[in-house]
Amino acid sequence: MANVDDKHHLISEVDHEVHPGPMNIQFDSSDLRSKRPFYIEPTNIVNVNDVIQRVSDHASALNKRIHYYSRLSTPADTALIAPDHVVPAPEECYVYSPLGSAYKLKSYTEGYGKNTSLVTIFMIWNTMMGTSILSIPWGIKQAGFTTGMCIIMLMGLLTLYCCYRVVKSRDTIHSLNTTTWEYPDVCRYYFGSFGQWSSLLCSLVSLVGAMIVYWVLMSNFLFNTGKFIFNFVHHINDTDTILGANNSNLVICPSPGSGGHSDNDSMIFYANDTAVQQFEKWWNRSKTVPFYLIGLLLPLLNFKSPSFFSKFNILGTVSVLYLIFLVTLKSIQLGFHLEFHWFVPTEFFVPEIRFHFPQLTGVLTLAFFIHNCIITLLKNNKNQENNVRDLCIAYMLVTLTYLYIGVLVFASFPSPPLSKDCIEQNFLDNFPSGDILSFIARIFLLFQMMTVYPLLGYLARVQLLGHVFGDVYPSIFHVLIFNIIIVGAGVIMACFYPNIGGIIRYSGAACGLAFVFIYPSLIYMISLHREERLTWPKLIFHIFIIILGLANLIAQFFV
Amino acid sequence: MPNSAMKKKVLLMGKSGSGKTSMRSIIFANYIARDTRRLGATIDVEHSHVRFLGNLVLNLWDCGGQDTFMENYFTSQRDNIFRNVEVLIYVFDVESRELEKDMHYYQSCLEAILQNSPDAKIFCLVHKMDLVQEDQRDLIFREREEDLRRLSRPLECACFRTSIWDETLYKAWSSIVYQLIPNVQQLETNLRNFAQIIEADEVLLFERATFLVISHYQCKEQRDVHRFEKISNIIKQFKLSCSKLAASFQSMEVRNSNFAAFIDIFTSNTYVMVVMSDPSIPSAATLINIRNARKHFEKLERVDGPKHSLLMR
Repeated sequence: MANVDDKHHLISEVDHEVHPGPMNIQFDSSDLRSKRPFYIEPTNIVNVNDVIQRVSDHASALNKRIHYYSRLSTPADTALIAPDHVVPAPEECYVYSPLGSAYKLKSYTEGYGKNTSLVTIFMIWNTMMGTSILSIPWGIKQAGFTTGMCIIMLMGLLTLYCCYRVVKSRDTIHSLNTTTWEYPDVCRYYFGSFGQWSSLLCSLVSLVGAMIVYWVLMSNFLFNTGKFIFNFVHHINDTDTILGANNSNLVICPSPGSGGHSDNDSMIFYANDTAVQQFEKWWNRSKTVPFYLIGLLLPLLNFKSPSFFSKFNILGTVSVLYLIFLVTLKSIQLGFHLEFHWFVPTEFFVPEIRFHFPQLTGVLTLAFFIHNCIITLLKNNKNQENNVRDLCIAYMLVTLTYLYIGVLVFASFPSPPLSKDCIEQNFLDNFPSGDILSFIARIFLLFQMMTVYPLLGYLARVQLLGHVFGDVYPSIFHVLIFNIIIVGAGVIMACFYPNIGGIIRYSGAACGLAFVFIYPSLIYMISLHREERLTWPKLIFHIFIIILGLANLIAQFFV
Repeated sequence: MPNSAMKKKVLLMGKSGSGKTSMRSIIFANYIARDTRRLGATIDVEHSHVRFLGNLVLNLWDCGGQDTFMENYFTSQRDNIFRNVEVLIYVFDVESRELEKDMHYYQSCLEAILQNSPDAKIFCLVHKMDLVQEDQRDLIFREREEDLRRLSRPLECACFRTSIWDETLYKAWSSIVYQLIPNVQQLETNLRNFAQIIEADEVLLFERATFLVISHYQCKEQRDVHRFEKISNIIKQFKLSCSKLAASFQSMEVRNSNFAAFIDIFTSNTYVMVVMSDPSIPSAATLINIRNARKHFEKLERVDGPKHSLLMR
């Protein structure tokens, strides 16, 4: 043990002994600058007595703690994430250097809650605008014009109310920290694992339904695009031979008589031309094109993270705006053709009130569906107290958009030569493949869908594989099998049942049943009952909503 | 003559969800390998290889509130679990709404301890105190402490209030470790002598696995009261990074014109940190001093020999 006497020995020993001490960075005392990994220039060293803004010891201890805890768990594990009451408010956060001086950042917001109301409303509108917009005119036709308009507005109000219940559902849970919860977590809290699995199932139904619709539409658009290009290159104008209106802005009725969907238009008229024949053989809407898409899209589905595709999000907005422009232009050119017959169908018109109206409600359930992600979208709103107001405005805008497109397409459909019954489930099919404006629309939508398809696949994969296997990417084989099943379903539908209106209404009614109608109402009633505030009017009203949802689903099979 | 092959246990018990796994992860710098909320109760007996103060082994058990399968397993293994226990640390969640049940389970654990390891030391941690409003914390803790002391008779228990979000967790565990070291007074005296001889500003002795401060000496007032926990967190974070490269942390030297600090392995169970504020003293001198002191302290541990199982290799 070194004592006072030994001190001299210690210092003199340094010169002639290579001390076998610890194997750390050791250097000659004479050269204080060599081999220092973290050497601070003397000018940067602040004197301890300088009066500068210093970080309090408590704050720096908390900082160190948080840094250390973050190394102990994965980002997904919330057990060691600092809760709000522990972390200082953003205004009190500073950036400090290890030397002790502290700087306050002016624009420190961390992306949390920095969206203005306008941006939030736009994001909600953008997310809700899906491909169901193409089926709204068909839905109005199925329900009757007046009934259709009324139903669109009523469904908008009903789904808005249920969405409001979803947004308020987290506030009913007081005992837990729900800041990171999404709606499926709330369902799991109230209904246990049944709630978790059923909400997973419904979410998957909506995602897989959307992906199948996308495949059908993509085959359709790809087919029409290819046909346009082929006709353009070979200077074929085949629009004269198809049943169409007698003016330059053509609208066609691809399937005379209801039902049936002709895959290969204009085949019989060009039997002599072998080039066209070959083309028709290899480029068929339901027999070959769906398979060509496999080569394009199946590889994209296997990516671990499709964040690359989310950069193309703007294409969706552009497509919708272009559709609005297209519809406006066409209706100006075609004019309005409306006649009101209330109950009896005529040769060219459909009655105002029809019994097929549940088909429209089914389509609208998916058209107004945003309940599984509305909480996340509203979380980033800067002024949280405006959440409800912004939600109402967004729903109103969506309803107006759907009404606008639906009513205009329906009203401007040239009825004297064609029957309103001709309105297709995808209203772009009513325009011939030679029409330039709709060709542009199809190209936009084709590209947009090709970028959204991998995102949908990723969401479905993460939810299903994450819950069943516990790992979102168990192995390339699991993922490949999953993708092949989904793609296979899309291809089969595109070949045998390419009626997107049908697919949308079945999947919409099924997944909407849980998320839109049953869970919000049930959770609200349960939370009121727990607080003993459940009154008879509220009970009856919400049970009525649940019955409506069930009726919606059951009616899809009978109408 | 105690069987040296039998490891003495530190039992970390408490209701499921009271925060034991997080606590263990933070104190011992293990990664939390899974989301324990989803998997339910922690079954942690045979898999725990965390050595602590020589040959103490840390075992986690969920006590009370789990499903009947776990309950049966627990009851059938009871004697096994509670045999050879050196320390029982029982964690209470301050927010729990089932106080009666918690106390009931605690008492049944105490009964088992009385039967199987009556010499065990008992510590009670009232955890998650950050969820209580600041002005009420002392009051609530004192109430709980009274209840627990009363319920624990004839055994004695020491109570601490803790939260992973402030310094109380580290302090509580440091106090626990301090009470587990048999010759701690002698250690402190020797440490003081050592520090005065080498003219150090401050000397700290850390437990090796957890970097909890066992004892320290300082020759003048230091400004930052949180410095022990900060150093512990910094080093544990560094150890985690090292382990990613399959390297292990051995020693560190930090030096500027105002001070020089050395962290190095000391005895088989401890690390030492020496802070010198006289930068003119060369590193080599301090390192040689530490090396020589090491020999002395190891001899100190060995002198108290086999009857102190804590310090057995």
